[in-house]
Amino acid sequence: MNRKYARFFAIVLALTLFTALISACSKENKPAAESKAAESSGSETTPAESSSASDPAKPDISKKVELVWYLLGDSHADSPKVVEEWNKMLEKDLNTTVKLNFTTWTEWATKYNLLLTTGEKVDMIFASSWADYFKYAKQGAFLDLTDLLPTYAPQTWSTVPEQDWSEAKVDGKIFAVPATYPEFTPNGIVYREDWRKELNLPEVKDLDSIEAYMDGVKKSKSGVTPIGGSAWNEVSTLFKAITGFEAIGGDGNSVVVAKSYDNPRDIVAYPFTTEFADYAKRMKTWASKGFWSSSTLSVETAAGDLIKAGTGAVYWRNPAGAGGFITDLKKTNPEIEVAYFPFTRIQNYAVPNLSINNGMAIPKSSTNPERSLMVLDKLRNDPKYFNLMTYGFEGTHYSLNADGKTYVAPPKGVEVAQDWKKYDIAGWGWRYEPNMLKEEGSWDGFDKLTEEFKAISRPSIFQPVVLDYEPVKAEQAAVNQVFKQYGQPLMMGLVPDVDKALETYRKKLEGAGIDKVVAYVKEQAEAYYTERNIQ
Amino acid sequence: MSRLLVDLRTNKVLWLMIVPSLVFFVIFSYLPMIGVYYAFTNYSFEGGLFKSPYVGFQNFQFLIQSGQLYALTKNTILYNLAFIFLGNALQVTCAIFLSELPGKLFRKFTQSFMFLPFFLSFVLIGAFVFNLFNFENGAVNTFLKGIGLQPYDFYLHTAPWKYIIVFFSVWKGLGYGMIIYLAAIMSISDEYHEAAKIDGANIFQRTRHIILPLLVPTFVLLILLSLGGILKGQFDLFYQIIGNNGMLFETTDIIDTYVYRSLTVNFDIGMGTAAGLYQSAFGLVLVCAVNYIIKKTREDYALF
Repeated sequence: MNRKYARFFAIVLALTLFTALISACSKENKPAAESKAAESSGSETTPAESSSASDPAKPDISKKVELVWYLLGDSHADSPKVVEEWNKMLEKDLNTTVKLNFTTWTEWATKYNLLLTTGEKVDMIFASSWADYFKYAKQGAFLDLTDLLPTYAPQTWSTVPEQDWSEAKVDGKIFAVPATYPEFTPNGIVYREDWRKELNLPEVKDLDSIEAYMDGVKKSKSGVTPIGGSAWNEVSTLFKAITGFEAIGGDGNSVVVAKSYDNPRDIVAYPFTTEFADYAKRMKTWASKGFWSSSTLSVETAAGDLIKAGTGAVYWRNPAGAGGFITDLKKTNPEIEVAYFPFTRIQNYAVPNLSINNGMAIPKSSTNPERSLMVLDKLRNDPKYFNLMTYGFEGTHYSLNADGKTYVAPPKGVEVAQDWKKYDIAGWGWRYEPNMLKEEGSWDGFDKLTEEFKAISRPSIFQPVVLDYEPVKAEQAAVNQVFKQYGQPLMMGLVPDVDKALETYRKKLEGAGIDKVVAYVKEQAEAYYTERNIQ
Repeated sequence: MSRLLVDLRTNKVLWLMIVPSLVFFVIFSYLPMIGVYYAFTNYSFEGGLFKSPYVGFQNFQFLIQSGQLYALTKNTILYNLAFIFLGNALQVTCAIFLSELPGKLFRKFTQSFMFLPFFLSFVLIGAFVFNLFNFENGAVNTFLKGIGLQPYDFYLHTAPWKYIIVFFSVWKGLGYGMIIYLAAIMSISDEYHEAAKIDGANIFQRTRHIILPLLVPTFVLLILLSLGGILKGQFDLFYQIIGNNGMLFETTDIIDTYVYRSLTVNFDIGMGTAAGLYQSAFGLVLVCAVNYIIKKTREDYALF
């Protein structure tokens, strides 16, 4: 009897495991099939409805769905509470709840890649030209929204300008909803202005004055490393600024560049230029003067944290980032005075961002693209939703001024501690300018800078070139390795002998197939220029 | 075949008892192996695993393209040999010392103390290393300056990192391996020792002629097991200590970190799988080879 029972038990166990296996397989297939069905039914109904976009037939929301959204960047300590409130509103209005996830900034590129390639169910994700939007769209990672938009995001469809939509198009299809917020994000540096005045150093305006500034700070302030933490961004963006080299396709770390804005067809690999050789030599002197630490490539600390700690002086930021940093600093470290120097003043032109510099896309794995679009439509256009998700709770995180256009953070009459952080999450993807509020007491330099950029603005011609490196991906992967191993230490001036290191770097690049990569980039760029009639 | 069927019928219960573990291996080891096919396709979001276009060995090209494959394989193997042999030698030594220690309380304490690093995560160890060796305010350089010596800039030289990495790896694994050897030593019958003592053997002679020979099977088994993973160098160890610091890659880059970097910059499932397959195939060949050699010399110790 006992034996029989044991045998029975073993069989049952085996069968359970087996069925578990089978069902695990079939489970994976089901939602995809469902979504395909939903997708096709969605596009079937569109043509009839898009003609009457002003009064769309209300989409069916009788089924309650739970969506998963991913944002690229950091959350705020109070985000869970805010999202909870948001979900209450969503449940009432759209019979939906959203689980909002953040990738944070650590290893974001890896996480982002994995989210898309492993086919995890995600209903909406941040997308951007600087996060390889064009490449992913071309490879088919995102859902084509062209037909869904008029039905499920009618307000957005009609408010986003035609130009913005066209900048988000890949092969004539829209794969993401671009944020509506024209801005310039050139590179630049934030630096300790109070130290500059105190030490009587020259005004920062070019490479020499930056050198003089850092030299002065290094010599007079003991314990200060001018660019504390990781100095790669500061040094590499400065290189592009002084040489006028322009990155193609928005990949700032690529070694293939256009030699100047005026000559977009002159495309080279910059390590082979004399400009790079000169710069590397100069950086060698900077590194040996101790402008940054010899372990700079190993550090993850942002230079900004060290400015706050009083041991750093220079920090790479774009104007918006600088604005946030400076406004923050005023509240936490009012004794520190910093100024901002945009590199556009070296180059004398500024290029506006593409609309798709920030946006929201729906991955192929989504099971409810329609509802996800409806939520986005609501979020962008309903000020109640927009303010909650962008600025937090009124009264707790900010207070609205009487004019309804500006806000105060922290809210009036609320005392905050040193470690207070403004409610700020990675919400750039749903920005809609008419709904955006201006912070009172924020850095007044920002608007002036925007004016300055507008005056010297030139159209964006390099960013929209779509590069997915498909035909040369082995070469591209090899080149990236060489760049990391030989290029970065060389540019950071960490090598003992610049000439010898440069020679090795070039040889290794050639071995990795840099010529093929350059040829590929050239071909893609030429095609784009011809299509858009650029020179 | 018919013999198998007969066996199945006569030993039904035994076969059923092995079913759960068979199922386990099928689900977690053999089914995922289907993914190896990725190495030969050009992954597309449309096609997934089976409908992406077949490209043959094209994905392996990037490993060879950079001309790094040889250096990487060499680094990986040498590091692992250092880890395995140095680690095991130290573990055996410590285990012998510990077994000869008189006070039980002291012995237990030492044992736990040496075991502790095993529980540290490599992230923490990475932080240790940075704070010990950085030029500006690392502990080592502060000490050097304190006693009036020239500080040494570790991050500008590639040479010291070999030793740093091996040291931390051995240090971390010391307690764990030691316990295995300690258990083996404890299982040696006291009669041998007593007989040897009566014959007047001192502690060195006993170690040389009793303990070491009886530890050989354990040693061989542990070596064989670790050799299988020789091409899977400890990724976290290298990544946490070196990270993305290209300056130090010359002596510290192993296949794992190389692959990781290629794929985070230029994410491609096909190339990632290709590199993983290369590692596994190499590991398989290595284990078979070592096992073959052992079988030829001392058959009893062979793994299979």
